Amino acid sequence: MGRKKKKQMKPWCWYCNRDFDDEKILIQHQKAKHFKCHICHKKLYTGPGLAIHCMQVHKETIDGVPNAIPGRTDIELEIYGMEGIPEKDMEERRRVLEQKTQAESQKRKQNQEDSDDFEEDEEPGPSFQQPQPPAQPQATYIPPMTQPGMPPVHGAPGMPPANYSGMPPMMPGVPPMMPGMPPVMPGMPPGMMGMGGMMPHGPGMPPMMPGMPPGMPPLGHRPGMPHMSHVPPVTAPGMLNRPAVPTVTAPAPQPAITKPLFPSAGQAQQAVVSGPVGTDFKPLASSSAPSDPPKPTFPAYSQSPASATTSSSTVSKVPAAVTAKPATLTATSATSKLIHPDEDISLEERRAQLPRYQRNIPRTGHAHMATPPGGPMGGMMPPQQGMPPQHPMHALPTPCSTN
Amino acid sequence: MSLFGTSAGFGAGGTSVFGSATTDSHNPMKDVEVTSPPDDSISCLAFSPPAMPGNFLIGGSWANDVRCWEVQDNGQTVPKAQQMHTGPVLDVCWSDDGSKVFTASCDKTAKMWDLNSNQAMQIAQHEAPIRTVHWIKAPNYSCVMTGSWDKTLKFWDTRSPSPMMSLQLPERCYCADVVYPMAVVASAERGLIVYQLENQPSEFRRIDSPLKHQHRCVAIFKDKQNKPTGFALGSIEGRVAIHYINPPNPAKDNFTFKCHRSNGTNTATPQDIYAVNAISFHPVHGTLATVGSDGRFSFWDKDARTKLKTSEQLDQPITACCFNNNGNIFAYASSYDWSKGHEYYNPQKKNYIFLRSAAEELKPRNKK
Repeated sequence: MGRKKKKQMKPWCWYCNRDFDDEKILIQHQKAKHFKCHICHKKLYTGPGLAIHCMQVHKETIDGVPNAIPGRTDIELEIYGMEGIPEKDMEERRRVLEQKTQAESQKRKQNQEDSDDFEEDEEPGPSFQQPQPPAQPQATYIPPMTQPGMPPVHGAPGMPPANYSGMPPMMPGVPPMMPGMPPVMPGMPPGMMGMGGMMPHGPGMPPMMPGMPPGMPPLGHRPGMPHMSHVPPVTAPGMLNRPAVPTVTAPAPQPAITKPLFPSAGQAQQAVVSGPVGTDFKPLASSSAPSDPPKPTFPAYSQSPASATTSSSTVSKVPAAVTAKPATLTATSATSKLIHPDEDISLEERRAQLPRYQRNIPRTGHAHMATPPGGPMGGMMPPQQGMPPQHPMHALPTPCSTN
Repeated sequence: MSLFGTSAGFGAGGTSVFGSATTDSHNPMKDVEVTSPPDDSISCLAFSPPAMPGNFLIGGSWANDVRCWEVQDNGQTVPKAQQMHTGPVLDVCWSDDGSKVFTASCDKTAKMWDLNSNQAMQIAQHEAPIRTVHWIKAPNYSCVMTGSWDKTLKFWDTRSPSPMMSLQLPERCYCADVVYPMAVVASAERGLIVYQLENQPSEFRRIDSPLKHQHRCVAIFKDKQNKPTGFALGSIEGRVAIHYINPPNPAKDNFTFKCHRSNGTNTATPQDIYAVNAISFHPVHGTLATVGSDGRFSFWDKDARTKLKTSEQLDQPITACCFNNNGNIFAYASSYDWSKGHEYYNPQKKNYIFLRSAAEELKPRNKK
């Protein structure tokens, strides 16, 4: 409610032109006279609401609003109190009123027209706050990133590879991820990069997939082949007709600074090369990037979480300042009730806590080897020496033999 | 023949044996039933992208499995393959070329499932269950984005065990969506952050939530030029907010609407307000579907600000939904979402996935 402001005249009913002292009374009138179901006498809130009710509950259509004057019986107009009244009818009413009260007619008309151009915001503050002009918030987020990693990286040419040790200097900008492996190229098919150890599910296959593995026909000669004999050519009418669906992925122009959505992001990223990047967003074929020694840029990016968190304390006041919400919602008010156990945690979190859903989860901190099917990571690690210590994954111990 | 060993198949026909005569409350809309549904609540659904011919549906469930069905033109569904995690699966997504499926689980890992070889391997690791997984395809990079209850958002090149990037979230990740170059993440405590993904992911803006209750689901929508321009955010309080990133007139353009509530006009009984479990936008029409704990789905036109349709009430909450890539099929899952606590959980109760023809009912309403 309250999305349109009130006009400066007494509330009146669009359906029957009656005047009222107060919008509340007007609404009560509308509910009782115009939005009341003639079959079950239930009072709805709007005309369309009444129409839908009659259709859904009684399977009856109604063609007009009950007790409305001719010309005002449109059942599809969503009018609630004074809201939703079409502009021309408002004007007509005003004119009619002016003729009755000729005194302030001119002033009133002008007032009305002005106030139409902008919407006084009656909404309680926070809901629709004007998002800050794009320049400002970017100032907090972007600067650490505008030269993504350039300054810090720059100063450390001979840095011992805190990443994957033992690597001979590679092409600048390509931090070697897999020692001994050729430089990481994005086109490399994923299965080939030493993750091979993870692929088979291992002998500890849970009993749920008896008929599954080897015998399972793989999903098909998918890559590009017109397989699927049982799918007729796409032009068949019916469910799977394909109108020209625009591709979802955005078109190519990246440094598109003029893109309205993220304007300052466009500027901010100008410094960055837009060629293909390796696994850490550093450009691979170091085209225009100044020398990028093969140092991992993770430390550079670790700034971003820092900046995000510091700015979070200033910008996002959501957790702290919010009006106190009840922790349990089962009795919000006499007129409504939230069907949800607890606002503090989500339904999934609540459910995941149950022992029946926790049986198989490997504990963090312990070796994955405790649960064979979860073990796959173990299979992958050993070929890599010198994983950086900041590696988030725990306990990827050498004994992958437990798989 | 059922490839998923456990369930008693209803045959390959796709339609249920019961409920065909009278209005059965498990399928009051008389929609097509997917064969061999999972044995526990379905948490997520995803249809194959346009790059793949045909329609393949992926569904993740609380039974720790991810299943793949082929949906044929005549409506028949054929179970194709299955993979397992060691914990409930919370989210799934496809790669843009349709060759891989990414799955996120309570077992704190995300996996990449290569459909050609039917092999799955771990590609991500968090300190807590992973709630969201999305594939990002940028002109100069590709990666998987995972959001977790460990309050981080991580980006993974699938070939490396370490994340390419890790961003801190204000709170546990509850839902996310990606439409390049935009990503939105909603967290606990009503946190809401928009990211821009050009060149590399970075935080774009933190937004004061337009909703007053816990965030539950989010979906990005696009403008007429097919660029992402805003998102729809659903809460547990039967309400969805439509929010534009850079609207000409925020007070006017952004709005919220109520949904998934029991008939409250009868003031004698309190109105029941249900959570919005998922939101999906029709890929062609731009209209949206919401599904809720009340066991109904609704279609809406956000530009005309009207409701297009509300379904009959199913006897279970609807937990997930999605459209196929050309918008002809709407899939929705009927299973328990825990909205009434564990007392109402019945492990014996069957879970369903329904398919409905979506081409007509989601056409936009002409604005009055």
